[in-house]
Amino acid sequence: MEPQQDKPGSDRELMARLGAGDKGALAPLMERHYRRLYRLALSYLRQPDDALDTVQEAFVKAWQNAARWDGSAEAGPWLSRIAINLSIDRWRRNRRRQATFTPLAEDDHEGALGNGEPPPDRGIRERELRDHLSCALDALPERQRAVVVLRHYQDMSLAEIATTLGMSLGTVKSSLHRALHRMRERLREVRP
Amino acid sequence: MILGHLGRSRQMALLAAGVLLGREKESALAHAVSCRRCRVELEELRALVSLVERDPLRDGEPSVPLAVLTRSVEREVERILVPGGRPRGWLVVVPAAAAVLVVGLLVPALIARFRPAPPAAVSTEALDRLERNLVREHAARYLTEAGDVLVAVAATSVDCDPPAGRVDLGPVPEQSRDLLARRALLVEADREAVASARAVLDDVERALREVAELPSCVRRRDLEHLRREVDRRQLLMRIRLMTRELEG
Repeated sequence: MEPQQDKPGSDRELMARLGAGDKGALAPLMERHYRRLYRLALSYLRQPDDALDTVQEAFVKAWQNAARWDGSAEAGPWLSRIAINLSIDRWRRNRRRQATFTPLAEDDHEGALGNGEPPPDRGIRERELRDHLSCALDALPERQRAVVVLRHYQDMSLAEIATTLGMSLGTVKSSLHRALHRMRERLREVRP
Repeated sequence: MILGHLGRSRQMALLAAGVLLGREKESALAHAVSCRRCRVELEELRALVSLVERDPLRDGEPSVPLAVLTRSVEREVERILVPGGRPRGWLVVVPAAAAVLVVGLLVPALIARFRPAPPAAVSTEALDRLERNLVREHAARYLTEAGDVLVAVAATSVDCDPPAGRVDLGPVPEQSRDLLARRALLVEADREAVASARAVLDDVERALREVAELPSCVRRRDLEHLRREVDRRQLLMRIRLMTRELEG
């Protein structure tokens, strides 16, 4: 089989340049992937600031590891893998932090969800939907949460999810099944 | 094969998630038609999936322009490239790449040449301003988190080993280590932008390092020493004031 040629400007070519220490490859690579990675991190972390930090960290990490990037792999899934793993780490850290420092705002938040008033406009309805989904996602262990995000926010296939998270196909299926049931139960509690 | 309810339940979830194909999908659909319980379950799961697909965060847009984010990443990369701070990944880089890096280190002007020009629509001044604001926001968040750590230290009173006079700090030392590990990314990106906060940042770093070195079950007198030091430097108040200033 003939060796694969990297087209100029392709992800592969940019990754190869990055791996050889060419920082000029960073900007076009970021331009191509930053929005997708931001949405991935935002769906997982639910906080814009955290998502932005995660994207930044992901590209720094991509640059650090570019020399070890397996040239036969696609750059997009590789970047997704970095971003989702960093999101999981950050979420874990945030949870530990929340467990130690009781956030006062959480009570306010619960109150806002439970006041029974009909939402007066679309903005509030959207916020309510977002909050309910955050609440449902919070009921999931970190890997199940990642499976849901990759499937329903990034539209990945089961095989892609398995590759991204380094899980078997069977584990992805059972994680997705458990996650959806758990989310449904949680939503029943917050949206009776 | 006859599936138990658990198997059917799994099928309904995978059907709702849109990942069943071909015969598996047909079989699950046929079952849902004939089984009321599974049909209800499928409808509920589909409603859930539909809610997820309407989540406004799906289409979230980054609050800073790409050019600012790119510069921020480049700056961090440059910081890592400083001798001694080089990532381990570079140990395997081919000599030619290493030569490029050395040249990059010795001739900063070369680095500037590699920088992509910001889009014409956004001026360099505007980008600088945005970047500066981003750095200040990061610093404010770092200080808030550091404040949380120090408040936890101040509030700790549960004994973990009463005869030895030790109190339980729980995960606080680990959180302090974690915060210190992220410190560079949060407050070192642009030292000028947070110059006014430097004294507070330095004192906070010192305090965090002390907390990071403590065991979870710490001698009360070590904790008291740390608390006195935080009080003496009025650190919590200074953190609050500086956070407000940085947040504008």
